[in-house]
Amino acid sequence: MSILLNRETKALIQGITGRVGQSQTRWMLEYGTNIVAGVTPGKGGWSVEGIPVYDTVAEAVAEQGAEASVFFVPPKGVKEAAIQTIDAGIKLIVVITEHVPVHDVMEICEYATDSNVQLVGPTSPGIITPGEAKLGIMPGNMFKPGRIGLISRSGTLTYEVSVNLANAGFGQSTAVGIGADPVVFTNAPELLRLFEEDPDTDLVVLVGEVGGAQEEEAAEYIKKSMTKPVVAYIAGLNAPQEKRMGHAGAIIQGDGRGTAQSKISALQEAGVEIAQFPADVVRLVQKRLASS
Amino acid sequence: MRLYEFEASRLFARKGIPVPRNAVVTSPQEAREKAEEIGLPVMLKAQVLTGGRGLAGAVQAAESLDQVERGTESLLGSSVRGLSVRQVMVVRKVNVAKELYLGVTIDGYRGTPVAIVSSEGGVSVNQLVMEQPKSVVMKPVSISKGLRLAEAREMCLKVGMEGLEVTQVASILSALYRVFESYDCLVAEINPLARTTQGKHLGLDAKVEIDDSSLYRHTDLNLDFEGRIDNPRERKGREIGVTYVELDGDIGIIASGAGLGMASMDIIKQQEMQPANFLETGGGITAELLYNAMDLVMQKEGLRAVFINLYGGINPIHEGAQGIGKYMKEYNVSIPVVAKALGNRQEETWKIFREHGVHVVTDISTEKAIEYLAGILERTA
Repeated sequence: MSILLNRETKALIQGITGRVGQSQTRWMLEYGTNIVAGVTPGKGGWSVEGIPVYDTVAEAVAEQGAEASVFFVPPKGVKEAAIQTIDAGIKLIVVITEHVPVHDVMEICEYATDSNVQLVGPTSPGIITPGEAKLGIMPGNMFKPGRIGLISRSGTLTYEVSVNLANAGFGQSTAVGIGADPVVFTNAPELLRLFEEDPDTDLVVLVGEVGGAQEEEAAEYIKKSMTKPVVAYIAGLNAPQEKRMGHAGAIIQGDGRGTAQSKISALQEAGVEIAQFPADVVRLVQKRLASS
Repeated sequence: MRLYEFEASRLFARKGIPVPRNAVVTSPQEAREKAEEIGLPVMLKAQVLTGGRGLAGAVQAAESLDQVERGTESLLGSSVRGLSVRQVMVVRKVNVAKELYLGVTIDGYRGTPVAIVSSEGGVSVNQLVMEQPKSVVMKPVSISKGLRLAEAREMCLKVGMEGLEVTQVASILSALYRVFESYDCLVAEINPLARTTQGKHLGLDAKVEIDDSSLYRHTDLNLDFEGRIDNPRERKGREIGVTYVELDGDIGIIASGAGLGMASMDIIKQQEMQPANFLETGGGITAELLYNAMDLVMQKEGLRAVFINLYGGINPIHEGAQGIGKYMKEYNVSIPVVAKALGNRQEETWKIFREHGVHVVTDISTEKAIEYLAGILERTA
C-alpha cells in the first residue's frame, strides 16, 4: 500500500514531446510507472518511447483510461491545461512546472474546489511510491520501498533525506514533493492525514524551509490529529530577511514572518523532533520507531 | 518584484486611487523645479526597496525650495538600510487628520487573495493585528469573482467608518483590488491611507510587489528588474539565470536546488565556517550555466573554498560537471573545490569532476561532505 500512486495507476504525461518531457518519460518508464498516454496539443498521432500521444486529455482518457497526470507543460500553459485535465475527470494531477503565475495557481485552486481531483505542485519534484511507480523527476536510485512517509517542500532535500534513510534501512511508503511556490495545491496537513490513514506508513518525515505557513499549519494538525510519530528538518536557519531563496515561496518577510525558527518552535511544541541537518533525520527516525 | 513607491503610485493613479501630486527626480535641481510645479510644502522620499523609511531618516519635509534642494542632495547617494538612493520622490504634503490602512495580499496557505481594512494606519498590518485586532478586518476574496463594492463597504462599516467615508474608502479598496488583479500582485498596500483635514482620502504610500513568474504579462510596464538589484553579483546571477544571494563569509556555494542550497548554508555555519553566498540553479543545468555560476561565485574576494552540491533528477549533472571543469582549467583555480553529486549519471559526473581537480565526496550526506571540506581547509591552513 501507499498513498496517491501505485504500480497499477494509469499515468498520462502532459508535455510529453518536449525535451524534458521525453527524457523524464524514459526515466519514469524505466522505474516501472504504468504510462498509458501522452498529450501535446497539435502532436496527436505521435509516439514517444512507444507511448501514444493525443491532442487532448479527453482523448487520452477515452482511449487509454488515463487516471493520473504529470505536467511538463510550460508555465504559461498550466492554467488551461489544468482546467482541461480536471474537466476530463483525471483524479491526480502533479505539476512539475516551475514559475507558474501565482494568480493562475489560485484560479486553478478555486476551479478544483468542487471536483474531487488531487492536485500536487507546482514546482514539485513529483510523487514516488518506491519500487512501484513515480510521477515526477526524482532520481529513482535515491529511494527504497519501506514504511516511512515523506512530505517535502524541496525537491533536492527530498532526495537527500530519502537516500540517507534508505541507506540506513528505512525505505519510503510514498514520498511527495508538495512544491515550493507561495501557493501550492495540496498543503502538508492533507498529506499528513493520508499518511496517518495509510496502514503501511509507520512514521512521517516532514521537510520544510523558510517562508509561508505550511509547517506551522502542519504543527497544528499534528497536535490535534496525528497518532503516528513525525520527524522534521527545516532548511534556512541562516537565510537573510526579504531575500527569495531560490524558491518563490522561500522568503522571510520584512516583518519577520516565515523564519525557520518559528517553524521549528511550532513543530517542537507539537512534539515533533527536529533534525540538525538532513541526514540527522535517520537518527530521529531510529529513536522514534524504537520507542513506539 | 517589488516596485519603487513612485512606480506603485503610478499604478494606483491608473486604477483611480487618489494620490497627492508627485514627481520622481534624480538631482537637486530637478527636485527644485518639480517642487515649484507641485507647490510647497513637499515631502522628499528616498526611493529604496525597504520598509521603515521614516525611521531610517529617508523621508524629509521641505518648506522652501532651498530646503528641497538641500534635502534632495543629502538623500541622493546616501544609503538606507544598506541600499543606495538613486531617486527621490517629491510629494505634495497634505494635512492628515487620520491614518487608515488598506491592503490586498495572498493567503498562501488557503490559496486565495485577502482584502484587509484597518481604521488605523502607519504601522505594519501584523503589528495592527497583534496590538489592535478590533481595528482590522480581513476577508478572503474569490479570485474569479473579484472584490465586490458591497463587500468593500461592509468591511469599512465593520471597522467603524461612517457615512461618506465608507463610500470613499470602499471605492479606493475596490480600486486597490483592481491593481492587485490587473498586475498579478503578491501584495498591493496603501499604508497609510490619509483622511485629510478637508475630509478627502489620499494614498500616502504605495507598496506593490508583482509576482516574478507573471512578469511576462506586464512587459508594457517597462520595469527594469536587474536595475533595481543593488548588489552587482546578485544582478549578474539574475542575468545568467540562477538565484544568488550574497552573504558575509568566504565559502562559496553552488547547489542544484533551493532547499539543498539553504541546507548547505546552515551546515557550513554549524561547522563554524561562514558561507560567502547562496546560489541555486533550479532545474535548468547546462555546462554553460554551471560555468557561469562558478565564475560568479569566484568573483567574491577572499574566497577560501567552493562547495558544490548537486542532484541529478531533472538536471543533467554530468553536463554541469563539464562546465565546472572547463572553468577550473581555464582559470587554474587554486582554492579547494569540493563536490557532492548524486542521482542520475552520478558516476560519470564524479569522473569528470576528478579529471578537473575537483574533490569528489561520494558520501550521501551533505554534512559529511562539508566535514571533508573543513578537513582540507585545516590541512592547508
